[in-house]
Amino acid sequence: MFSRLATSGFRIYSSLRNTVVRLPAAGYQSQYSIEKLYPNSSLDFTSPNFKVHRQLTHTQTENDKFSGYIPVDELDVRYSRSSGPGGQNVNKVSTKVEVRFHVQSASWIPDFAKEILLQNEQTRITKDGFLVVRSEKTRKQMLNQADCLEKIRSMIWRASILPREPTEEEIAIMEKRKSRAKQEILREKRAHSLKKRMREGPGMNSL
Amino acid sequence: MASVEKALSLLKNLPRVNLGNLKPLPGRRGKKPDRRGQHGGKNRGFGDGANNLPRMGFEGGNVPFYRRMPVEPYYKDHAFRKQYPPLSLLQLQRLVDLGRIDTTEPIDLTTLCNTKVITVNPHLKHYGINLTDEGADIFEAKVNIEIQWTNEIAIAAIEKSGGTITTKFYDLQCIDAMVNPLLFFNRGIPIPRCKLPSMDVIEYYSDAKNRGYLADPELIRQARIELAQKMGYNLADPSQDPLYEMLTKRKDPRQIWFGLSPGWVVNLKHKTVLKPNDPELIEYYQS
Repeated sequence: MFSRLATSGFRIYSSLRNTVVRLPAAGYQSQYSIEKLYPNSSLDFTSPNFKVHRQLTHTQTENDKFSGYIPVDELDVRYSRSSGPGGQNVNKVSTKVEVRFHVQSASWIPDFAKEILLQNEQTRITKDGFLVVRSEKTRKQMLNQADCLEKIRSMIWRASILPREPTEEEIAIMEKRKSRAKQEILREKRAHSLKKRMREGPGMNSL
Repeated sequence: MASVEKALSLLKNLPRVNLGNLKPLPGRRGKKPDRRGQHGGKNRGFGDGANNLPRMGFEGGNVPFYRRMPVEPYYKDHAFRKQYPPLSLLQLQRLVDLGRIDTTEPIDLTTLCNTKVITVNPHLKHYGINLTDEGADIFEAKVNIEIQWTNEIAIAAIEKSGGTITTKFYDLQCIDAMVNPLLFFNRGIPIPRCKLPSMDVIEYYSDAKNRGYLADPELIRQARIELAQKMGYNLADPSQDPLYEMLTKRKDPRQIWFGLSPGWVVNLKHKTVLKPNDPELIEYYQS
């Protein structure tokens, strides 16, 4: 669709019920038309950016790291009624959202992260190995579903943090802090020692 | 009518208006100054009492009328505040279900006002419609809707159902035309070109997150994916959709109605559309 638009230079509008009218590429165009404001952008704002899409899925299959993308199709989403006060609305509307997926068979999580996830979130994982996340935080089902996904995403981010060596800068900062702390301790020790000595009063050898 | 004919014949036969043949209305000249009272005019007092009147509005010493009114800070700039009467997703779904809105065509401010479910009055500083998120959970209609204000949840609900949403700004003259197009066409005025948003709202309409009409289409595309990931739904592949053309149809920033350009005059009585010929006018309406 996008290539057809780009190469042919025509845009097809259906102005009447069943007829298709071919208009030139500029139907009405003022100087502020989107084509003039953003000449490098494709006008087709609806189609998902397949290049980005491919990148995201590619990194996941390589099991390098988690990119933040969650394929919603592979999650099992269930709706039920929430608890708490709320009268007729809470009794009738399914606002509670439960999202579950099988951790080991999830292709979108890198393998090393799966192990850590199973350990970290033991309380949320069933005997069969499904991670279950529930939310009845808000009054809207959509927001509760967003909350569930937010929780899952942050769990996986935390589980996929790779332990890394400190950089040279970080080592230098740590050394500096250690030495300053050490100097402070020594200063306090000297002050304390002086205080104790002063209490003893003048001795035989002092003036 | 005889009076009309007389007037027309006068116009035809009399000479052109000229500085030489102008005359003030009867009764305007010869008005004598008020000689009464302390401050009266026409030759009284030394130097004829020049500058003998106090300032305009002075009432002898009491607090004058124009200073009696208190000023409250809470209504400062009230005339510049933009209002957007709300329409919920629930109402929209109901309209679609009852067949009061045609989903095979893009939905517009005009479409929504024609349903008589909502009243938009430009005289009350209504700058369009605010699509609220009430009913987002049950919304299923696949529409191409263009409103003036909305929030993230409403955008998510519409895109989840496979539709498209755009926020577009119209100035008050355009709102007046869109709210009642028949009344507007009967005035015989050319279709106005829509102004760009004022400073207080231009950022809103340039933001892809609000699906603003002045935003970069690439950023809108990204924002759609991000929102789908945030809310947990799949974006449908639009190229497979038979309604793709309708869903991606968008107006030019200066345009008010699809198929009609600014500068055209719509004559409903004779069912014609008059377009300007003058190059200056054409240039103006193209800019």
